[in-house]
Amino acid sequence: MTQFLQSIHYGEWILHALIVLPLLGVVPVLLGDPKSARRTALVVTTLELVLSLGLWWALVPGQAGLQLVANIPWIPSWGISYRVGIDGISLVMVLLTTVLMPLSVLASWHYISTRERGFYALMLTMLTALVGVFIALDLFLFYVYFELTLIPMYFIIGIWGGTNRVYAAIKFFVYTMTGSLLMLVAIVVLVWKVQAATGQLSFAYEHLLRNAGAAGSAAPWLFAAFALAFAIKVPIFPFHTWLPDAHVEAPTAGSVLLASVMLKIGTYGFLRFAVPFFPGVALSPAVSALMVTLAVIGVIYGALVALVQPDFKKLVAYSSVSHLGLVMLGIWGGTMQSVQGALIVMISHGLSTGALFLLIGMMYERRHTRLLEAYGGIARVVPVFSLLLTVVAFSSIGLPGLNGFVGEFLVLLGSITAFPRATVIATTVVIFAAGYLLWAIQRIIYNRLDDPENERFGDLTARELAVILPLVVGIVWIGLYPAPILRRMEPATRQYLEATAVTRTGPTTALGVLRHVVEEARR
Amino acid sequence: MTQLDLGTPGGIMLALLPELLLTGWALLVLLVVAWRHRTAEDSRLAGWLSFAGVAVSAAGLAALWVNGATPAGLAQMVALDPFRYGADAVALIAAGGTILLSLGYLERESLLAPEYYPLVLLSTAGMLFLAGAEDLIVLFLGLEVMSVGVYVLAGYDRNNPASAEAALKYFLIGAFASGFLLYGIALVYGATGTTNLSLVGAQLAGRPLPLMAALGLGLLLIGLGFKVAAVPFHMWAPDVYDGSPTPVTGFMATGVKAAAFAALVRVLLEAFPSATSLWQPIVAGLAIASMVVGNLAALVQRSLKRMLAYSSIAHAGYLLTAVWAGTQAGAGAVLFYLLAYSLVTLAAFGFLSVFGRGGERDVSLDDIAGLARSRPWVAFGFSVCMFSLLGFPGTFGFMGKWYIISALAAERQYILPVILVLTSVVSAGYYLPVVMAMYMRPAPDSERYAGVRLAPAALGAIALAVAVVLLFGVWPGPLLDVAGQSALTLTQTGLPFAGP
Repeated sequence: MTQFLQSIHYGEWILHALIVLPLLGVVPVLLGDPKSARRTALVVTTLELVLSLGLWWALVPGQAGLQLVANIPWIPSWGISYRVGIDGISLVMVLLTTVLMPLSVLASWHYISTRERGFYALMLTMLTALVGVFIALDLFLFYVYFELTLIPMYFIIGIWGGTNRVYAAIKFFVYTMTGSLLMLVAIVVLVWKVQAATGQLSFAYEHLLRNAGAAGSAAPWLFAAFALAFAIKVPIFPFHTWLPDAHVEAPTAGSVLLASVMLKIGTYGFLRFAVPFFPGVALSPAVSALMVTLAVIGVIYGALVALVQPDFKKLVAYSSVSHLGLVMLGIWGGTMQSVQGALIVMISHGLSTGALFLLIGMMYERRHTRLLEAYGGIARVVPVFSLLLTVVAFSSIGLPGLNGFVGEFLVLLGSITAFPRATVIATTVVIFAAGYLLWAIQRIIYNRLDDPENERFGDLTARELAVILPLVVGIVWIGLYPAPILRRMEPATRQYLEATAVTRTGPTTALGVLRHVVEEARR
Repeated sequence: MTQLDLGTPGGIMLALLPELLLTGWALLVLLVVAWRHRTAEDSRLAGWLSFAGVAVSAAGLAALWVNGATPAGLAQMVALDPFRYGADAVALIAAGGTILLSLGYLERESLLAPEYYPLVLLSTAGMLFLAGAEDLIVLFLGLEVMSVGVYVLAGYDRNNPASAEAALKYFLIGAFASGFLLYGIALVYGATGTTNLSLVGAQLAGRPLPLMAALGLGLLLIGLGFKVAAVPFHMWAPDVYDGSPTPVTGFMATGVKAAAFAALVRVLLEAFPSATSLWQPIVAGLAIASMVVGNLAALVQRSLKRMLAYSSIAHAGYLLTAVWAGTQAGAGAVLFYLLAYSLVTLAAFGFLSVFGRGGERDVSLDDIAGLARSRPWVAFGFSVCMFSLLGFPGTFGFMGKWYIISALAAERQYILPVILVLTSVVSAGYYLPVVMAMYMRPAPDSERYAGVRLAPAALGAIALAVAVVLLFGVWPGPLLDVAGQSALTLTQTGLPFAGP
């Protein structure tokens, strides 16, 4: 395989192709017949998936550092270039995106029945923006892609969403933009500080990473700006309030992309930018304590709120808050296991929650309600659906043998030394998840079949099986044999740990940081 | 590099080529409309003739710019540097765009008196003088020539009381502001014995600022603050913008603002570079007040035209932050942002004039609900305008904001950029509902937008503006270099000349 890829110079064009292909696909979607838009979008996204799979082999597993880096000058006078490349972390995020995209298109097959051309054009634009976020190695470029993901999602929620869609769309947009604009200022300031220190005006990621120490006394502020932008995206408690609204109102495809990929931009941002740029601040005891506390609050709070949701989609939305709290704990855990675990949780949350939202979408298409109380006893009517729902729910709970367990176990194992109390509290995530999901499953597929509507509940069609089964395969695969993925992420994780390790034992104390801030302000 | 001796008649004629061509052409058009001023066709003729005049003047400007005309020795009366050329270009673009938008609009509103177009040309000539003024007297003359034309244009819709009110308000406040400006000029002259900007700068260099000069500077800031509609000198703007015929509003929000900003930058950077510690806090205060008040007030507007009026106050605030920097990058950012803002604002007012559909009434969000279904391209274009004003990546407006933030960060100023972005978030609260109304609300009835027609000229102008906004949003490199270069000479002049 590797030889074949080399013979077609795969590494030289693939990253550009992944960006350009969906945009090219927008043209036939917009110009074609509305009814054929979905087919065109499916072809394009599938092609993108096939192309992107080669990355799995193109990335040299043991090699540290960013690979397949391409650099094209863009705005030379500002030191901005079109710079892309991947490492193990970006690889899995890109693959997660390209895998979920055709499934989301397929899931929208009947769900989207108005203004199809616009919808699929936005989905393709979204694909470009999401892939772009994960491969951008220039901070300007990253920011542009980061913001560009907003527009398609804003329209997808606002046009094809539920009854309260306009409110949800603007809330989502304004929340994210607030954080990201402050990050914009932080990026510019960081670049100028680095320029002052090195004499080179450049937004290139590696350049900034090497010289981020030049931020000096501004580092706490810059980290705060980066962290706020990503915290809103993750979302970390208490910045999560946009999430349930956006999830519940979005159409199925929107929810899937939002939960499975867009939330990961936040955690990815912490891993790629916020922490490695300012490890002295990010991993100082005070900030660590704050972030871990918020993460644990998110874990517990998300789970408790999920317990009492009457709406299945909202339940899953809050469970995302809970799971992503675990990811944050893993990132701050600061060991090989915890960070790799965080990455695995990111992937498996993408697969399981994506699958849950897809199944909820199928339920909604049949009954036009997501309220748990409307269902009951459908296991007898639709055994295949019920089986899949149960498997997916178990994976989300973290049943050993399925993907959820691997990540959660690694996170908890890796964080226990650094944050024993927080880790013990976070362990309850498994218990709570079992609580709310099993309870929901029980109310949906067991209980009494007393509603005649539910007796007419049709089982999954071939198309729907094609949507769900790939995810289930992924769920089982990661659960049983995660080694190939871990191997590919290992060099990147090691590099991350090495880059941040210096300060991990450094002299920065909570009091020191505070004193520094005060002195700065006084000056 | 061509050197022009501004002491000789030939030299000054060449240096004023764009202004002279424009003024001469305006007189020519006046002459033509003296015979032909009855029918719609006559109005069209005058319009296209005037557009040709703008093009001719732009050709003159290009001749100066391409040859890199510089003054031999001291620039007297009029500047000969790329900053003037850049600002002139923005003013001419605004004028050309306004004429193209007006062609269909005037016919639809039956405002067939074709003197409209010579007035646009003459006030544009005033803008060119204002933007290129190297002498406070020329600055004042340019300001007055520009303003008098615009006063008349604001009241051009004779049958509409709001238009008359706008004209009167604009005139009274404008006259008031001119008084401040003139008094400021007098004080500066009293303190330094000269009205030439570079010489003022040379006089004030290296010694504490005399009180009289400080007062003069303050009054100059007030006078120009009125023209750019910076808070707290903005009270006239919403009513005047609202009452004026829509293309004229576009003209005021772009051309007038661009010329006044160019003059402001030149005055501060050439005449008062030694007094930065005095004017920087004032400019910062004006900027913060404009950003905050403009954005918050825009939030609660029901009429889109008023909303855009307040948003233009907010944009004046963003521009003032760039002025604050007082550096080459800052001045470059002003030019760059002015172009970005002007293109978008012209296009936005062009769209608004279409939604007005005869009888010029308030356009509210309800009037564009569901537009995207029947008019996808109009909705798309208007959305691009909104996103660019919001400063979203991929649009020219974002590059403009980026440039401003960059210029400020280079000066180690972090508070202004933070306020800038936070108020930009607030602005999402009124730009986005426009997009939402068009895309996410149903149209009241399917025939509603059947009458929405863009005249071909306006369509061309708007389409071009939107295309440029998107193009420079992705690929701003060349323009950026031009803007940066333009400002280079500005920060270099001022000090090298000895006093008289």
